Amino acid sequence: MTENQFDELWQQVEARKYGRMLAAGYPAWKRNRRRALTVAAMLLIVLVTAVVTVSTLQRPSASFEKVYCNRVGTSDSQWVALAAEMLME
Amino acid sequence: MMKKKLYIFILMLLPALSFAQNEVYKRYSPQQDLTVAQVSGFALNDSVRVDVVLVVADDNAAWERVKKELDIRGDSGSTSWLGEFTDPAKRTGWNGRTALRVVASHARRTVAFYRIDSERQYDALLDYQLRKMKKQ
Repeated sequence: MTENQFDELWQQVEARKYGRMLAAGYPAWKRNRRRALTVAAMLLIVLVTAVVTVSTLQRPSASFEKVYCNRVGTSDSQWVALAAEMLME
Repeated sequence: MMKKKLYIFILMLLPALSFAQNEVYKRYSPQQDLTVAQVSGFALNDSVRVDVVLVVADDNAAWERVKKELDIRGDSGSTSWLGEFTDPAKRTGWNGRTALRVVASHARRTVAFYRIDSERQYDALLDYQLRKMKKQ
């Protein structure tokens, strides 16, 4: 091994040692922050999807409809009934 | 990384987007003398649903204005047609593109807009009408 090769190897060893020392000061999730964020985002998506799916499946079909109205005090079922009656006109 | 974040954001927005107010509702709801309701997910059968916007005129003046705007003639009974999505007053035939089945009732001073996005919804709507009429 030449002197140059030894120096190069020594620098690599030192760099790895400092890298490990630096990393040891942080908790594991911080060292892998990008991975942790991705996993958290995926878990959130799965959770939201599960909640939406379960709440949709649990609704009886008759009350599935979502109703918007520009007046207060009207009932949702009144509009659903009107939508059905208008098809009979 | 940014692209991945954008995909995640869009995925999270999807459930909210499925219940957005539609264009017809937005067009009529600000008018003071009209009562406007949107029924999202009105069931035509076990598997097909459509969005419906109901416009009820509060008085005769409002009804006359709606009639004029949608080119509804006559003073009694009801009338229906397939209207273009962007301009419901314009009568059209089914061509596979999003359209509105419009039903107007003079007695109720009401116009109903059924949003049709697919052949399946179009068939289900006709089938629904036939089924109910047979029962009557």
